[in-house]
Order: sequence, then structure tokens, then C-alpha cells
Amino acid sequence: MVFLFVVVLIGDSGVGKSNLLSRFTRNEFNLESKSTIGVEFATRSIQVDGKTIKAQIWDTAGQERYRAITAAYYRGAVGALLVYDIAKHLTYENVERWLRELRDHADQNIVIMLVGNKSDLRHLRAVLTDEAKAFAERNGLSFIETSALDSTNVDMAFQNILTEIYRIVSQKQIRDPPEGDTIRPQNVEPIDVKPTMNTDGVRKQCCQ
Amino acid sequence: MEGESDRASFWKKNIKTVPGRPSPKSDAKTTSKTKAPGATSFQDFQASVSDAWDLEDDEFCVISSLENTKISKKVSQSAALNVLNSHRSTAEHEVPSNDRTAEKPHLYEPDPVRISRIPGRPRQLHCFSPVQEEDNESKLERFEALLESNPSLQELSKLSWSGIPVKVRGITWRLLSGYLPINLERRNGVLERKRQDYWTLVEKYYYTEHDETNRDIQHQINIDVPRMNPSIPLFQQRTVQLMFERILFIWSIRHPASGYVQGINDLVTPFYIVFLQEFIPDNQPFERFNVDSLNQDQLRIIEADSFWCLSKFLDGIQDNYVFAQIGIQKKVLQLEELIKRVDEVLHKHLKQHNVSYLQFSFRWLNNLLTRELPLRCTIRLWDTYLAENDSFATFQLYVSAAFLLYWKEDLMQEHDFQGLLLLLQNLPTQSWTSSQISMLVAEAYKLKVMFADAPNHLLSNTGDS
Repeated sequence: MVFLFVVVLIGDSGVGKSNLLSRFTRNEFNLESKSTIGVEFATRSIQVDGKTIKAQIWDTAGQERYRAITAAYYRGAVGALLVYDIAKHLTYENVERWLRELRDHADQNIVIMLVGNKSDLRHLRAVLTDEAKAFAERNGLSFIETSALDSTNVDMAFQNILTEIYRIVSQKQIRDPPEGDTIRPQNVEPIDVKPTMNTDGVRKQCCQ
Repeated sequence: MEGESDRASFWKKNIKTVPGRPSPKSDAKTTSKTKAPGATSFQDFQASVSDAWDLEDDEFCVISSLENTKISKKVSQSAALNVLNSHRSTAEHEVPSNDRTAEKPHLYEPDPVRISRIPGRPRQLHCFSPVQEEDNESKLERFEALLESNPSLQELSKLSWSGIPVKVRGITWRLLSGYLPINLERRNGVLERKRQDYWTLVEKYYYTEHDETNRDIQHQINIDVPRMNPSIPLFQQRTVQLMFERILFIWSIRHPASGYVQGINDLVTPFYIVFLQEFIPDNQPFERFNVDSLNQDQLRIIEADSFWCLSKFLDGIQDNYVFAQIGIQKKVLQLEELIKRVDEVLHKHLKQHNVSYLQFSFRWLNNLLTRELPLRCTIRLWDTYLAENDSFATFQLYVSAAFLLYWKEDLMQEHDFQGLLLLLQNLPTQSWTSSQISMLVAEAYKLKVMFADAPNHLLSNTGDS
């Protein structure tokens, strides 16, 4: 049986969302990678408890102007990696804003992981690990620090969130979200947290 | 002037037949069945649609059979299909049973005959074959002659539509964008004043204390500019980055409804490169050019002119970048409608695998394909965009549609959501040259002509699906 989970990557511009994704899905890293326009997609499958979990990951643009477009993708997501840059305190301060975004637009059962990226920049650290960890605990988020540059914890981050989702799903089927959501991206619509054999077998519902 | 019988069947929604508008390719099956019918039918077609063109453009046109102005649907369709087939199958000389199989970029050889025979724009492409390498000389002469006189914008657009030689591209872009007046006597005065104006704006707004909004804009620009074109050394030069930062910042504060939106930085690039090339000696490649070897005046000209041309260029697509990006959302819907009409097979294929148009075409439209094409191709594409003047906002939609249709064969071979989306996000255009762009815009033109008089076609959501 193949489980298909949709995960979004969110967070301020320039914190390394695209590089986390390319490191996880293609084992690639670019010191300078172009800004993400709107939303970009990648995928990778992993094994948990002998089950195949296919992660469909949507990498979103960090700029506020794109929020109208990117927020539509939160709806179908069962997990979110909320990324900040450990060397830029402002990107950490904005985590609260991103959480509000998720509360406003995502399913209430969405699993959120706070990710402090660029952990290789030790000498430039501006956000203490303990501080972020405490914040995550207070807000019921899991937490990890990663470096897309040197690969530290990148697989672990995705592995952890996908496993967490898998545990929840296998314990109980989260109820389907209400019908009539017309603005969510169509491909992610039927997926939510139900295990399916294959997305393509599921008919989308027409939004027009 | 057309026969009544043509009207009903011209295309599904009963839109009037208009001279010069070939019948749409209804679906791939029809296309594939039609073998190249032979040159006569194309000439018939070309003659039959020649009334759709301005007479002044007639110098290379076959006018002997003008009396036959009725479009025979059969003739037009077969000729159109002939053209489509022939330019899709140049690599393999046999017309393939499926009309897209030969269309791999790396198989492409420039083929002036193929490209010039495009319905809807027969003469222009006939006269100015897009294969610039071959007739650069004569085309350059035509440009130079035109630019020395007081050309009409229309003449200049017409000549530019199929590509502008590098040597005159800078001046032509300035004229086409509306930055530089057509009138020869006024040009120098305007240039001087506008350049001065830009630098006054920079003094006044860039080198001053910013309020919070402007700090945010500046912050975002500073994040984006250094990572614009990581693979091109030119863009790693601090001087270049500073120029971009100023251009974008000044543009943003003058357009508060949108402000800076990620991606607009990519839209400065073609202007910047074209104006930079005017100062690069001996056709050196711009990619490794050291801009610090230019003098201050030259740098100021490149920057100011890039700014003004960008401003003019974006005027027509402002609503792409305002809150909620409604301009883009609208165009995404229109693109979907258009594809549904012209290629239902492809449309259904995408839908069947739950691919929504927003997922792949948002970036196409937001960045005007700059992220999908090599820079040299973007520049060539902008020759046509600028030649379209005010219609460019709409034309961009047809280019996106033609771009999607171009990949049909590859897309049809993908059988799941992720395969489709990964392909659509990473279309292999690396080896593209201006000849692919010429074909793309010709296809786009064909679509535009087909739908130009059918204002409802893009609105209908209930339609026939």
C-alpha cells in the first residue's frame, strides 16, 4: 500500500526552502538558487514501517504578494515545514505570522514542524536552538535544525514529519475536510490524510 | 464575404469565419491523418487570405489570385495542417503518424522554408525569415534604412515582429516600447531629459532614509537580485547588482499598487542585456563581460534606459502584480479555456491527472516565460512582444498556449500527476534558439488570429466540456 502525503514548505524569503526541497528530493544544493515564483513541486518516496510513503511537496514563494496563490495549497496539505534562517532573527520572528497563515488556511489537523535552516552558519547564529525549541513546544510543533548546504538533518526533517503524519493516519482516519472548497489546488484535493494507492485514480472534483 | 457553410463549422462555438483565420486544429487525430497536401493548396490558401493584410505589406505577396477571396474551408484547413505537419516533422522527413514526435529541440535544424509557411502571417514571415543567421545582412539594412528615416511605429513593429538584429535592437526596443519618440528630431532631447529624470529619482528616493514599506521592498530586492542568474557570471558583479537594485526600487516606489514582486527582477534582465550589448565591443559574449570596464556615462545610460523601458513594458500588465495577482489568475483561466478549445485531447489529459493550469502556468505568466527559456530566447521573444505594442498583454497568453501545445507529445507520454508536473516545471528548452521562438510566436499569432474576434471564447466556463 502506498500512502500519499502532501506537505508544504513555508517561511520567509531566502531561508532556504527550495534548497531543503532539492536536497531532499534530488540531493542537490545551489548556494544561489533563483527565487521561487508562486509554487513549485517536487516529490520523493520513503519507507516507514515497511510502508511506502510518497511525499508530494509544494515549495512556496516567501514573498507576501504571493500569499493569495500559495495559501490555496495549504488546504490540501497534511504537513507543513515552517522554515526560518538561524542566522536571520527576523525570519524567526515572522514564524508567528506564518502560523497564523496556517491556522487561517490549512486543515486544523495539519502537522507542523518548525525548521531552523542554515545550521552550518554557526558563527552567524542569531536564533538560539533552545529558544526555538521552547517556542515549538509551546505551540505544539515539532522542531529540528537543518543545513541544506551540508545535508545535516534534511532527510531527518522530512522523515520525521512524514512518520508523524503516518502515525496519526494509521491511528485514526482524520475526517475529510468539508466539501465545497473551490480554491484549493485540484490535485491535492482528494488526498488529504487518507491513504490511497495512487492519486491518479482519484477523480478531482470540478471547481467550476 | 465567406460562404455561409463555412460559418457554422468554423469552430465549435459557431464563431464567424474571418479572412486570414485558419481553422483551428480540432484535435490531434485530425492533424495526424492529414498528410502534407502539396504546395498548390498552400498557395491557394495564402492567396485566399491575403485580403486580411494591409496593402502596404504586399511587396512579397502573391497577388495574382486575389480575385479568389473566398476561403474554402477545405483548402485553408489542409494548408494549415500542411504547414503544421511540415514544420513539425523536419527532423524526420517522413510525416509521422503523430504530429509531434519529431519535435525535440535538439533535433531542430533551422529551416526557413518551414518557418516561413505559417498561416495567419504568411507575408511577414515570408519576407523576414526568422532564421536571422541567414538573412541578417539584408534585414539589418532594412532596419537601418527605416531607422534613418522617420519610420511609423507600425512599419517598425512589422519589421521587428520576426526578430531584430543585435546591432539595432537597442534603438528599436527604445522606440517600440514608447520610451524614445519616433520623431528623429525629438529623440536626443527626450533621451537626455529622461536619463536625467531617472538619476534625479535615484538621488531623491534611493539614497535617502526609507520608511517601513520601502525598507521591506528594499529588503526583498536585496534578497532576490544576487540570486537572479546564478549561472551567469555577469550577474555576480556587484556593479550589476547595484544597478538592478536601484532600477527595481525606483520602479517599485513609483508603482505602489504592486510594489516589487518577485520575478520582476527577471523582467529587467532582457532590457539590461540589450542596452549593455550596445557598449560591448566586438560581439563579445555578455555572460562574462566585465561591466566595470565601461565608463560611468555608459553605465548610467544602460541603467536609466533599462528603467524606462521596463516601466513602459510593465504598464500593460500591471494587474499581474497587484494584490491577489488578479491579472495572472484571469489569464490562467483564459489559458485553460483556450487549450480546451484548441486541443481537447491535451486538456483532458491534464485534467485526468489532476493537473491544474495554475500549477504550471502561474510562473509562465508571472515571469513572461523568462524562467522557462534561455536568456537569448527571451530576448528574441521580446522582439515580438515589443512589436505587439499594446496588444502584448493578450499576446502573451497566446504565446503561453503555443508553448504548452508545443510539448503535447511529451506530455501525452506522462501518465501521472507528478510526471506531468515535473516536466511542466522543467521543460527542456536549454538548446532552443531563435528558430524555436519564431515558430512559437507564429503559432501564438495563429491562435490570436483565430480568437481575436471571438471575445466570448475565453469567458465561457460552462462551454462544451
